[in-house]
Amino acid sequence: MNLTFYNDRATWLHRLDPRTKIGGVLLIFVVCLCFNHPLFIAGILASVLAIFTAAKSLKVLWKLRFLLVLLFVFSVVLWPFFIKGKTILLEWHGLEVSRESLLYGLAMGLRLTTFVSAGLLLLATTKNEEITNGLIRLGIPYPVAFALATAIRLAPTFADAGATIVQAQVSRGLDLDSKNIFGRFKRFAPLSIPIFISAMRYTNFLAMALESKGFRPDAPRTSYYEPQTTGRDWLVLGSLTLILAACLYMRVALHWGIIISGRL
Amino acid sequence: MQHALLMWKNTRMIVLTAVCAAIYAATLIAFKTVVPIIPGVTEVRVAGVFPMTFGFLFGPAGAWGLAIGNVIGDIFGGTLSPVSIAGFIGNFLMGYLPYALWTTLVPVSSGAYVWDAKSVRNWLTYIVIAFISGAAAAVVIGAFADAIGMVPYAIISKIITINNFIGSLIGILLLTAVFDVTKNQLRLFWPEVMDVSAANTGMKASFGAWLVAAGCILGVFGGFVPGLSWTVVSWLATCLIMGGSLLL
Repeated sequence: MNLTFYNDRATWLHRLDPRTKIGGVLLIFVVCLCFNHPLFIAGILASVLAIFTAAKSLKVLWKLRFLLVLLFVFSVVLWPFFIKGKTILLEWHGLEVSRESLLYGLAMGLRLTTFVSAGLLLLATTKNEEITNGLIRLGIPYPVAFALATAIRLAPTFADAGATIVQAQVSRGLDLDSKNIFGRFKRFAPLSIPIFISAMRYTNFLAMALESKGFRPDAPRTSYYEPQTTGRDWLVLGSLTLILAACLYMRVALHWGIIISGRL
Repeated sequence: MQHALLMWKNTRMIVLTAVCAAIYAATLIAFKTVVPIIPGVTEVRVAGVFPMTFGFLFGPAGAWGLAIGNVIGDIFGGTLSPVSIAGFIGNFLMGYLPYALWTTLVPVSSGAYVWDAKSVRNWLTYIVIAFISGAAAAVVIGAFADAIGMVPYAIISKIITINNFIGSLIGILLLTAVFDVTKNQLRLFWPEVMDVSAANTGMKASFGAWLVAAGCILGVFGGFVPGLSWTVVSWLATCLIMGGSLLL
């Protein structure tokens, strides 16, 4: 199991402080929520794709192309049936599809794609340990960040242990090739028992190892990796804040970018 | 809620959190794209067998582990979005409510914090709490997902509730199989790992437990009442669930 989307390139985006990238992605999320008109959200998505290109990480996005297409299609198909609009295009057994609801569905599909792309942008340009470090510097308590970092480190180990257990059971005759997903679900329960027990044994070893090295959750910490905020970080954060302010002005004062009022 | 904060001072509970998060995340990622129900939001959740067991056996460590594990699952499953924040809270509730309701949801619960597979009352308590915790997560995630335009609440709340509930029912096998080993051999049963003297089991806690239960029922079925919109129902139910959880 490969737990990283990191794409090692020497671009300006990769060199940004992880706090800037986390804050930046959160600002992009909020900018997306300012409009529900597809044209406006398409503009934001285009900007995110341009940043991806600048970060030389489009191949990360390509890896998840099926998920992104599914997200988009699902939203476009589903939302029109749950939103009421004035210009009715189709009416069938109480179900209505209007021009506004269609456009809203399209906007939500684009918004979802933008959300996922922005999240991927952070992961493609930031190593796991940099994300953890950034979270600590943003105020997440050290024990929580430690648990997160340890879990990221352990997940592939447990996945490998799980795969070994599954292979051992299959070699004893367990049928996991059934096409029925619910059948597989049911068969997973007995398989989860040895996975669980082996993981719990690991807990005791790890806790003893930590305690023997004097680990104290509330002790003050220093770190080998000390990222510095530079002028470039402030420029990025300042620009994104200005963009957000402009978008809020367009939505609240000018009423631009709205297909369905009263909804984000 | 006190234990959920106090546990961060206990090394063993922190390691348990990391281990629970790792198991949950590994299972979520492994099965993420097998059968998506709503792409990017939910799928047939094989990892659903873990929350009740983690919550009951490891208490707050299980709750935080599920919350962190879900975020890792979102990150490395490629579905990190604002809904991941609601996913964090919802999955925390899926681990928090099993241990918090087990002694407070009287008269459904006997008040004793133990798993006995031969006790019909234990099974009843398990099933009721499995429904409540699954529905609580569904309501909180659904309300947020609807508000930001990801998926309509009327659909997502039902899907997540059923998905979580079925997973928890199958998870009863896991709990039965590992309870004795965890408690007596590995000595990782949470009331024996950390100090639980501050347990909240009075009237206030019972009121909180029933508030959560009422919120879940309202959240799942309230929208069928004529004149009540799903949006109003979702936020009212979320407030009841969050308020009740804080009293536990």
